[in-house]
Amino acid sequence: MDNNNVLTGVSVAAEKKPRGLKRFFKLLYQQRALVLMSVPFVIWLFIFRYLPIWGWTIGFQNFKPAKSFWEQEWVGFYHFEFLFGDERFLRVLRNTLVMSTINLVLGFVTAITLALLLNEVRHLVFKRVVQTVSYLPHFLSWVVAAGIIRVTLAPDGIINELLMRLHLIDEELLFLGIGEWFWGIYGASIVWKDVGWNTIVYLAAITMIDPTLYEAAEIDGAGRFRKIWHITLPGIRPVITVLLIMNIGYLLESGFEPQYLLGNGMNMDYSENLDIFVLKYGINQFNYSLSVAASIFKTVVSFILLFAANNLAKRMGETRLY
Amino acid sequence: MAEMTIEKPRRRRVRMSLGDRIFDAVNYTLLCLLMVVTLYPFLNTLAVSFNDATDSLRGGIYLWPRKWTLENYKFVFEEATIFQATLTSVLRTVIGTVLTVFCSAMVAYTISRPEYVLRKFVTIAFILTMYINGGLIPTYLLIRDLGLIGSFWVYIWPGLIGVFNLIIIRSFIENLPDNILESAKIDGAGEFRTFFSIVLPLCTPVLATVALFTGVWQWNSWFDVFLYNSSYEHLSTLQYELQKILQFSNASTRSVDFTAAGAQQGLSQVTPYAIRATMTIVASVPIIMVYPFLQKYFVKGMMVGGVKE
Amino acid sequence: MTFSLVGKQSAGRGIILKVLTIHPELKGVQKKVSKKRWLASTLSLIMVLALVLTACSGKKEAGNSNSGASGSSPTSNSSDSGGDSGGAAQDKVTFTMFVAVQGEKDVNTNETVIGKKLEEQTGVNFKIEHLVGDLQTKIGTMIASNDYPDVLVPDDGIENVIEAGGFIDLTPYIDNDKYPNIKKVYGPYKNLMKWDDGKIYIFPFSTVVGEFVPDPNIGQGAFWVQRRVLEWAGYPKIKTVDEYFKVLEDFINAHPDEDLIGFVTLTDDWRFFATTNVPNHLAGYPNDGEVMVDMQTHEAKIYAGTEWEYRWFKKLNEINAKGMFDKQSFVDNYDQYIAKLTSHKVLGFFDYGWQVGTANNALRDAALADPSLDGYRYFPLPVVFDENIKDQYLDPPGYVANRGFGITSSAKDPERIIAFIDTLLSEENQILVKWGIEGETYLRDENGRMYRTKEMVDKMTQKFNEDYGFTVFDWDWPHYGTNSTLSDGNAASPGLQPEVFQMTLTDADKKILSAYGVQTYAEMFADPDERPWYPAWGFAKDEPRQLFEQQKSDLQRNHIPKLVLSKPEEFDKAWDEYTKALGKLDVQGYEQWFTQKVKEVVANAQK
Repeated sequence: MDNNNVLTGVSVAAEKKPRGLKRFFKLLYQQRALVLMSVPFVIWLFIFRYLPIWGWTIGFQNFKPAKSFWEQEWVGFYHFEFLFGDERFLRVLRNTLVMSTINLVLGFVTAITLALLLNEVRHLVFKRVVQTVSYLPHFLSWVVAAGIIRVTLAPDGIINELLMRLHLIDEELLFLGIGEWFWGIYGASIVWKDVGWNTIVYLAAITMIDPTLYEAAEIDGAGRFRKIWHITLPGIRPVITVLLIMNIGYLLESGFEPQYLLGNGMNMDYSENLDIFVLKYGINQFNYSLSVAASIFKTVVSFILLFAANNLAKRMGETRLY
Repeated sequence: MAEMTIEKPRRRRVRMSLGDRIFDAVNYTLLCLLMVVTLYPFLNTLAVSFNDATDSLRGGIYLWPRKWTLENYKFVFEEATIFQATLTSVLRTVIGTVLTVFCSAMVAYTISRPEYVLRKFVTIAFILTMYINGGLIPTYLLIRDLGLIGSFWVYIWPGLIGVFNLIIIRSFIENLPDNILESAKIDGAGEFRTFFSIVLPLCTPVLATVALFTGVWQWNSWFDVFLYNSSYEHLSTLQYELQKILQFSNASTRSVDFTAAGAQQGLSQVTPYAIRATMTIVASVPIIMVYPFLQKYFVKGMMVGGVKE
Repeated sequence: MTFSLVGKQSAGRGIILKVLTIHPELKGVQKKVSKKRWLASTLSLIMVLALVLTACSGKKEAGNSNSGASGSSPTSNSSDSGGDSGGAAQDKVTFTMFVAVQGEKDVNTNETVIGKKLEEQTGVNFKIEHLVGDLQTKIGTMIASNDYPDVLVPDDGIENVIEAGGFIDLTPYIDNDKYPNIKKVYGPYKNLMKWDDGKIYIFPFSTVVGEFVPDPNIGQGAFWVQRRVLEWAGYPKIKTVDEYFKVLEDFINAHPDEDLIGFVTLTDDWRFFATTNVPNHLAGYPNDGEVMVDMQTHEAKIYAGTEWEYRWFKKLNEINAKGMFDKQSFVDNYDQYIAKLTSHKVLGFFDYGWQVGTANNALRDAALADPSLDGYRYFPLPVVFDENIKDQYLDPPGYVANRGFGITSSAKDPERIIAFIDTLLSEENQILVKWGIEGETYLRDENGRMYRTKEMVDKMTQKFNEDYGFTVFDWDWPHYGTNSTLSDGNAASPGLQPEVFQMTLTDADKKILSAYGVQTYAEMFADPDERPWYPAWGFAKDEPRQLFEQQKSDLQRNHIPKLVLSKPEEFDKAWDEYTKALGKLDVQGYEQWFTQKVKEVVANAQK
């Protein structure tokens, strides 16, 4: 089995890099252990991730699942035109971008801040309790979470109650009925739900920092903020950078559930994003082609963003994704 | 534990400046606030799950049930299928997590080696798939052609390596001091041995993180059951069974004829609202319980590991 | 910056030592290797094991599909476990059935009392699976892999399954003397059952056998009002929408410190039609979906954007200005809506009875426990715009064309399934699936009238109905439609039998009904006129029509809150904006399509 894997690995790689073959094979042979450790998974990757990409053709067809590939009706860019041509497309795109940017910026800032704050807690039990509790909302489905958010924001909910008591408002506000506020509610909701969860990876990164650095800094008389700034943050910087690049590639994926479950007629101008649009006009209408067209569009944008972000990181001398 | 006792006296010696005290006060206050906000939804869900379903419809349940009942839990656990399904869930979580962590770490190790000739190729091949999606139907047909429908392994193979996890592990390995790996090489250790005896142990925090991510993902998955194994009840999972229970908790309201003929009284004991709360608790408590065991790997005291002898 | 650099450099020295201290278990790397090896070999073992197992299961699957019965491999297992009593003339067989509706439990029919009886007669068991996730995905994968269960209830996916050739043509079985029971139930409908291509693909659920019996309850649309409001007002006759809101307003004014809500409306997700359908009902039309169909010309006209809709939203706008309308209606989801209805604060609303079942049941349960709470229950009223409009809330005898039960192209033995259906449709078996077994779940009096005793009704809990099989067979199968009558004049559905209905009434129910001089809730409403096309929402729609409905609904979702919540003097401006936007959609095409369909159906029905 081992030999087989090595051989297939070689053939796959050989197709990719035809130049300097001899040297290449020599190196490859020398690194056969590494090849053995990775190439089987590349084969896995091609089967499970690359083979289904033939499905992209669906975006250029009037796809009927019952027909074979050869019988499908080809319509060129029709579905793309429908998507881009709809008068709501720009607004939907704007909502998607704004909300995913909020998600990205707020998500990163809050998770990193929480990780840093937790790291400053010396009481170990307290630290573990806070960490455990803060990640609990992650386990609520969005349906349950949205239910709680709705009740909290209702006219007789706690937020209105509080604002009334403090005399900040004279009349209860219909939070979810004010379109302009939806993005804020969305941002607060996702932070509330996932900040604890998102912190975990940074906490893990912090544990990898060489502790002697802190000792050295203390001897130098560095205070808390200086230590955070000069040791902890640089220590987790590679992880931050890599995650950031990956997430920038996802800028057209602003999630679907919170917008769908908190959205309504009064805030739909701000809550409806690309995924909801595709659900309504693609999937719910059994129009598989439109959803594939949208997904191709997203992939193209992702690649551009990914490439740009990675190049930027390269230029700034940061850790790169590839 | 031994390390803790060493740490404490040493810590006390550090003089607390005024700034430190203010920082601590602010910090602890903030974290306590965060706890209140994040604990509430869970307590609320718990209260609803123990409250009479019909009574819950009125709303106004916050931290404590108004009309205690175990009916909601009875309704869920009445389904005999739940126990077999839980077993399947545990199996897929354990096997899936072990395999994913191990395989991801191995690939991550190879693409962290700068000298590896296929490094760039492998990395990019993986990264591209993060943003490419062949679509539902082609994927379904592939799984069918691979003979994975009606098989347990459909829960494992398609998600074997998550690129996200892969990249995180890689960045941790790259962050390890070079000379550790070099010295292992000098000792004559091969790639496999370096991987097993140096990389794996040194990366426990990130591996624990990835294990947690994968475990939770495996535990919560139900879409693959729905898609591939919905007619094979011996392969059903807890989350899928709970989805089913949620849906037929709605059934009593579906048929009008029944509300007229049979539903004279006490029929509407369960509601989707109450069942949703109950299933949230049933599904999440087991996985939350696992957390403290993994937590020790990434919530260490800052200095715990760094005590010099 | 510099600080961290220095730090890094210093960290470089003697790093091994530090790593060893961080991870004490690494102290003797060499010594520990054996342990790690063990770990490695375990892991590799798991890997290999996993691969082998996959290969095996793959083979198993391949073997199954070779045997021809694709997609039904689990059937053989379950029929082993299910079959334990003999008596069937033929070999036992299990068919798979998929119901693309979210709902009841997945069962083998022979695990229920009724299903067992049917198995004894036919040897046939069905393994039923219900939809759990989304319909489009599940039906899509079935179609794409051409791999169906034996029997499929496709719900919304019907057009797609038929287009894909997923159903067999049932034409030869409908009007066939070999299957007298099928002929009796479906023979009269065979023209209506034809699809566009002239073939018949499904057994619909709503075909009426015998005399049409109305439902004494209101499962369909109505304006609901709290009973205490009617009692307080002395049970007035309420016909018009103005009278309706006048009573609510008076009641609120008479109870200033109760913090009451006059009127709410349901807008959540797909349930939004409970808000948009109202003008249609107020104008005296039944629920034909988006259109009103003229009784004479059979022209279908969309009512969105018409004078009717203008009047309704203008009214709501007025109600809102008086502070009687609950603004939150436009942001609440279904859970919150139901919570409001059970909160005792809401005086009135429009909705369909089946949609507020949870709330009505909860209120009724509370009133059974404490009769003083009866006033918080809701009473249905047939409210219309003007005195001279005849209400048409009750469903006329209808025929829903796009819901039904089909036999798929993957079915192993269609003839056997048809034979089962014919047996199922015999009158005795229809009594079995709807009424149950005499002596257990129903009795007959000296006149042959069927009824249930109080004890019987009380024991019929949800659990009982599930185990007995009532919930399994009450829908989703070829059957006598709900409003059918048996040959001896009894109602086919117990809920529609006056004797059963009367027994379910409480004293308070009887009091309010008698105050209005009626026996049943339905008697409050006018009799439905005959409309052969009814319900038009049940027509199988093509893509442009589906698209139109989505666009229209999105547009209304956006504009209706503005209409209702705007200041009264700005209403007309909001209305202009709304109708302008509506005018951009293909209203004409939609109406033409429906008009044509209605005319086709009418022509078919007259054949």
